[in-house]
Amino acid sequence: MAQPRGVCIAALKVKFEEFNGFTLYLLELAVGNIVRRVLRLIRDVYNSEVSIKSVPQKGRIYELQSYGGSNSITEMINELENMYVNIADQAMEHIHSNEFIMTVGKSRTVEMFLKAAAKKRKFSVVVAETSPTYLGHEMALSLSQAGIDTTVISDSAIFAVMSRVNKVIMGTHAVLANGGLISVSGTQMVATAAKHHSTPVVVCTGLYKLSPLYPYDEDSFNDMVAPDSVMRFDEGDLIDKVTLINPYYDYVSPELVNLFITNTGGHPPSYLYRLINENYDPEDTDI
Amino acid sequence: MPMEKKSTKDMKEMTKAERRAVQERQRAEKAARTVGGTTTKKGSQGSATSVVDNTSIFTHQEYSFTPSDSKHKEKQQKESKKESSKQVALFSHLEIAKGANTSLDIHPAVLVIGLQFAEFKICGANARCIATLTAFKKVIQDYKTPEGTTLSRHLPTHLSPQIKYLVNSRPMSVGMGNAIRHLKLEISTMDIDLADDDAKRLLCEKIDNFIRDRITFADRVIVDYGLQKIQDGDVILTYARSSVVQALLLEARAKGIRFKVIVVDSRPRLEGKRLLRRLVDAGISCTYAFLHAVGFALKDVSKVFLGAHAFMSNGALYSRVGTAMVAMMAKEKNIPVIVCCETYKFTERVQLDSFVMNEQGNPEEMVNVSTTSTPKAGLLDGWLHKPDLKLLNLLYDLTPSKYITTVITEVGMIPCTSVPVILREYK
Repeated sequence: MAQPRGVCIAALKVKFEEFNGFTLYLLELAVGNIVRRVLRLIRDVYNSEVSIKSVPQKGRIYELQSYGGSNSITEMINELENMYVNIADQAMEHIHSNEFIMTVGKSRTVEMFLKAAAKKRKFSVVVAETSPTYLGHEMALSLSQAGIDTTVISDSAIFAVMSRVNKVIMGTHAVLANGGLISVSGTQMVATAAKHHSTPVVVCTGLYKLSPLYPYDEDSFNDMVAPDSVMRFDEGDLIDKVTLINPYYDYVSPELVNLFITNTGGHPPSYLYRLINENYDPEDTDI
Repeated sequence: MPMEKKSTKDMKEMTKAERRAVQERQRAEKAARTVGGTTTKKGSQGSATSVVDNTSIFTHQEYSFTPSDSKHKEKQQKESKKESSKQVALFSHLEIAKGANTSLDIHPAVLVIGLQFAEFKICGANARCIATLTAFKKVIQDYKTPEGTTLSRHLPTHLSPQIKYLVNSRPMSVGMGNAIRHLKLEISTMDIDLADDDAKRLLCEKIDNFIRDRITFADRVIVDYGLQKIQDGDVILTYARSSVVQALLLEARAKGIRFKVIVVDSRPRLEGKRLLRRLVDAGISCTYAFLHAVGFALKDVSKVFLGAHAFMSNGALYSRVGTAMVAMMAKEKNIPVIVCCETYKFTERVQLDSFVMNEQGNPEEMVNVSTTSTPKAGLLDGWLHKPDLKLLNLLYDLTPSKYITTVITEVGMIPCTSVPVILREYK
């Protein structure tokens, strides 16, 4: 899976004539979000300045540059590039000493967040291994290398260990309009177990992952990937006779999330609709 | 030998003092080994001659049979300092099974199952309980009451090292504990005037009865009850592998009920795969998924059937790690969670979390990311040498009673809060 953030930055840096080449990436929610933000920018510039002068012809949006749009795009690129640091800067407000934090999957945002906190505070992290992608293994290695006391548990032990966890801090693939998450498979279990134990669930994410799309069906944004990692194809006759399922993402409903830590600060899921109104134009929801 | 090479390599890195300590330890080990060897010979001379051969075979096997374990032990000794820092603090009260260690006076039948328990060749509460009782039957058959004591007094002391050995190879299951307690009670209430042979025959009969009534027949009754709960068109989800659930599903298929099964499995043991194989061979339409997909898989499930390791008196289910999660997710989606459990697994103990009583597996298992029998080391390979990194391989967890809809036992379908009631009735 490509890093959505990298694709977003690339998308913003190219000339607009070449923008069509990126339609492929619109499947990636984050890229769609950036496109919507640029569209919103164009609308704003159009409404404020262009309407007074001459209307630019359709298909020539690159003239935007002359109307000051270029600066705003540079700002957006800066925002994306500084995102990890901005989020990690808030770590001290959320992590106290001797905490027992659980995380799942691998997220650069969470990684930087925890490492920033580890510079000043001492705490332990439990990483659910997140089979069959084993992203948790990567995460655990990276955290332990930074000197954080890290314990890897199998996914099945999440519920058992949760009773001692202070906080669940995790990343996400996308945030939907209702505050729900599209996140690596297994996250739903973690969030539900956290709810059972009344453990706060904190999601670290850049605002660019916030999407105005609404999950009318839980699985509408899910991806089924090759079941090779669940049962290998060379396992003979058994594989012919069974159905294997291996979803890549999980939908986590907003009731299970307590807080989003974004590059603009911490927000509860109930506040996200405001951010959506701020960043996107309702007309661009379908692109 | 590659092993020796490894140790000499380590020697170079050690300081003088450490090297001396290693040498001393090796010397002590050697001495202990020779002493142990002679005493076993002495001990076996006293008992039947056939036993002598057996023990020597098995003592030999202990070394060749458990290569991974002995290697692990060596590693543990080498890195005893490191090991303590690799212990997950929350679980430092739980011991990682040390593996079978032979001592004197262990009956060969018990030796065999001890090794099999330690290697997880025999696992599952029922299988372990039956294996233990069958082995103890052999112990009793080969037992001779020494002069000057009675069977009811001496036999328990003869059995206790066997039990200790089994506990050492792997912590005992609740069902095994109950069965052994039952056996001890039977021994202590034996008539003193009974002839040795008669008493032994009677005890063996009692053991057979226990296996028949509380396990084999109980399972059959549970299957009968369970069949009432499986209808045409059902989609049944089950987790890992339970012998009762397997028997129930196979019986339902044999009865011609048309249903589908989703087997949810989890690493590192992948026990569900064996269940899957059995179900597929019986022609049941099956879906297989790892635990991460349980939320997704539960969408069109109509019932969840789970097995049990034990039931606590407060209605909590103690079962294979991950069961709690499956039950919780099912309850979240309002799908009934049905647990199949024989009453001999009920215990008077109460438990609120998965920490106070649990079992830790070998953390090394988590490194292997292969789903087939050929191991493949994942990213965590060499974790012992990486600072600040620990692995935790829990074997059980505790499902709160609120997630369990009903328990099918041989005395009927009961709510899980009725566990103490059943225990009281059976007393």
